[in-house]
Amino acid sequence: MKSSLWSGGLSALLVAFSAGCGGGALDTDVRDVNEFLAAHGAGRASGAPARPSVALPSEERWEEDPSEAPKILAKPLHAEAAVRLSLLMNRDLRASMYELGIARGRVVQAGLLPNPEIEVSLRAPQDPFQELQADIGIEYDISRVILMPLRKGAAEAELAAERVRVAGEVLDTAYRARVAFYEVQARQGVLDLRSRALAAFQAGFAAAEELHRVGNLPDVDLATQRAAVEAARIEVAEAENTLLDARERLNLAIGLSGEKTSWTAPDPLPPPEVDTIDAAGGEKKALAASLELAEIAGRMQAAGKRVGMHRAEGRLPHLSGGFHGENDGRAWEIGGHVTVGLPIFDRAQGRVISAQSELGALRERYVATATAVRANLRMAQNRVESAGRRARHYRDALLPAREKALAETLLQYNAMQVGVFQVLETQRRLTEAGIAYTETLLEYWKARAALDQVLAGRHRALGLAPPGVGSAGMGGGAESSAGH
Amino acid sequence: MDRRDFVKIGAAIGGALVASEALAQGAPEKNAGKRARRPGPFPGGQPAVVTPNGATLKLVEKDGVKIGHLVAMPVKHTFTPGLEAECWGYNGRVHGPTIEVVEGDRVRFYVTNRLPEPTTVHWHGVILPCGMDGVAGLTQKPIEPKDTHVYEFTFSKAGTFMYHPHYDEMTQMALGMVGMIVVHPKNPRGPRVDRDFALVTHEWAIRAGARRPDPNEMKDFNVLTFNAKAYPGTEPLVVGKGERVRIRLGNLSAMDHHPIHIHGLAFETTWTDGGEIPVTARHPDTTVLVPTGSVRVIEFVPTESGDWAMHCHMTHHIMNQMGHGFPVMVGANAAAIDKRVQALVPDYMTMGQAGMGGMDDMKMPVPKNSIPMRGGKGPFSTIDMGGMFTILKVRDDPDAEDGKGWYAHPKGTVADKADSTKMKADGIDPDVTF
Ligand SMILES: [Cu+2]
Repeated sequence: MKSSLWSGGLSALLVAFSAGCGGGALDTDVRDVNEFLAAHGAGRASGAPARPSVALPSEERWEEDPSEAPKILAKPLHAEAAVRLSLLMNRDLRASMYELGIARGRVVQAGLLPNPEIEVSLRAPQDPFQELQADIGIEYDISRVILMPLRKGAAEAELAAERVRVAGEVLDTAYRARVAFYEVQARQGVLDLRSRALAAFQAGFAAAEELHRVGNLPDVDLATQRAAVEAARIEVAEAENTLLDARERLNLAIGLSGEKTSWTAPDPLPPPEVDTIDAAGGEKKALAASLELAEIAGRMQAAGKRVGMHRAEGRLPHLSGGFHGENDGRAWEIGGHVTVGLPIFDRAQGRVISAQSELGALRERYVATATAVRANLRMAQNRVESAGRRARHYRDALLPAREKALAETLLQYNAMQVGVFQVLETQRRLTEAGIAYTETLLEYWKARAALDQVLAGRHRALGLAPPGVGSAGMGGGAESSAGH
Repeated sequence: MDRRDFVKIGAAIGGALVASEALAQGAPEKNAGKRARRPGPFPGGQPAVVTPNGATLKLVEKDGVKIGHLVAMPVKHTFTPGLEAECWGYNGRVHGPTIEVVEGDRVRFYVTNRLPEPTTVHWHGVILPCGMDGVAGLTQKPIEPKDTHVYEFTFSKAGTFMYHPHYDEMTQMALGMVGMIVVHPKNPRGPRVDRDFALVTHEWAIRAGARRPDPNEMKDFNVLTFNAKAYPGTEPLVVGKGERVRIRLGNLSAMDHHPIHIHGLAFETTWTDGGEIPVTARHPDTTVLVPTGSVRVIEFVPTESGDWAMHCHMTHHIMNQMGHGFPVMVGANAAAIDKRVQALVPDYMTMGQAGMGGMDDMKMPVPKNSIPMRGGKGPFSTIDMGGMFTILKVRDDPDAEDGKGWYAHPKGTVADKADSTKMKADGIDPDVTF
């Protein structure tokens, strides 16, 4: 469950997409993201999942699912398989990969030399003795050539930031799939237990019906048992609906639709692990790993370069030069010229202010994000510890105690001290404890995934907030900062 | 002194009296002379009292005063195998030993308190100086823990009495602190008895699986006892056919009277704790109601050998640790319930749908330290009674009996399955409709 969390996905993806990968700039971007993730993962916390990796199929095959996906779907799902599938099939993630091309396009564009402009003019003089006159001129934007490295540098910095953003989306996609899978496991468990509780009420009702039939039980007791059954039925229906919701969330996280949504996931949530959380070094690691911070840093760099570029642009008089040829019918007269735009009014002051402000805003976002990362890390750590402790208490103390209570109640029943209704009541309490355990297990595994996610470099949208508090409240500042 | 000892003494002393006394006892003619009389060490050759499952307090005579020592203390007591409880008693037992003296005896009883709270001893039914009556606050200071008080008085009246605390009596009696007192008359009247038994009836609330009686209980008593033993833990009363038998029944139950019923004979109530009932006022009975806080002494001469049931006739008093929470299952179809419940609780099994007899034979696992629905092994099948139940064993040769054996019925004297031919001949149709 620990170290191989992502590695399965990585190898599968490489296999799945290597065939489909053609040449071209897009491949370079995908490779860059993977390399970035791999390099970034070098310093990750021990026990955290390995970095995932992603790839894109060739343009011509963009509509198809990777060949591995049906094979994975044919088998019962587990958490690793769900993560792998999400990286194979999530179309939003693939869209982000394409969007990387937009930034790369800008880099390429920024690195292109301006085209020379050729002007040819013909003049027919009114003097019949004079011949047709031809002018030819070549004009070249020299300022642009001078500013080109600066523009390219800014675009490259932007591309680097985009790459980090997409790498983050890879992590987010895997995380969403993982958490959605845990949710499915938990909801299935709860549905089973709710059905068991219903069965207990039905058993009680069956006993009541039988005792009522032979005259041992008044109507009121029968009606009470019946009411309990009907209430339990609603709880089962609710649990069914919650499970369907959870399945749809996983379908969405992976990108499944139609027949592909008929997967099964028979395993229950695993018991809590004994966690070895390095509470002290955690914040440092999370900050070092933070893709959000890296992205903001990248964008700060780009903004800085843009400030420089715009400043240079503003100071540099607009320069263009050219050659000029004139043929008066007899001979060519050749000369050159330089045009200098005087930086008197437009010295790109506006663009400089914008770029400077952008830089300033990013600097503040950086600090805000670092604060959010720290807070999220601590929250995740607390959650893992608290939920883990509670889950272990359920498993090691409460559930055995409830089982013992049931066994003892059965002995009391054998001793004719209590009746069948009390036996069933004790059994239902065991079931309720099982439901509470399942909910706590889900909380634990979600917190584990969130902690791993923070340590892997993503702190946004972890869904860690306690019930009633919207997860948007966490790292909300970073949400807007990381936009593009 | 236990039964064997007194039998030995009785045999030694009483051998000579056998022939002359036999007729005077009013025993049936055919047995006269056959039974050895066993007069005891008390005036008129009266036998010593036997306290089944119990003991007699040791008394040492010094300067004409009989001195005894009662130690009130916590005692671990076994009601019957399978049910042990943390009780309070005297001298290491529950209940306390029977005090046996003779009318006119001067006694000095030292009472040491090893309980965690004060206590006193009230000599129930005994007429004595008020300051010796043992009522905390009213007639004396309570005996504080670790203290020893001394009571000294003269038993001026013959009869059967009881003793118990009169400090926090609710708790102390509920936990077992009671005992019997027998004062033999100096000049006994009427036919002398061969056997003399003392039985205290008592009731307890001990939840199945618990280990301490509940003193707060007011009505739900689930352990009913003779001398603090529930059947099958009760020691049988072994008597000889034709012997005159006296049973002294004292009731120190918290709430209940007990109609004690004996099979196979009729008896007369001869004494209460108030004194001897005039012969003219006596009448035959098979059941005697022993009210709470009272003594009834009965006498009889059994004429039929056998193993005879002797028990309280309140049906719940001959059950062991029945509970209240069990619904009436009689008549239910177990299969309709079992298949659903067993899906959730595999070891569940519907019980009682055909009545509650024979529960003991099902051998269901029950809570530790509990004896619900438990009876004893009988010669024909399980005796599915418990609680305030014992057996009167009437034997031709009681001294050869250890009380464990069963009566050997003469051939043809046991009710058994009817022969169909005979039924037909007698005009009995088992399929008759009404
Ligand atoms: Cu009774």
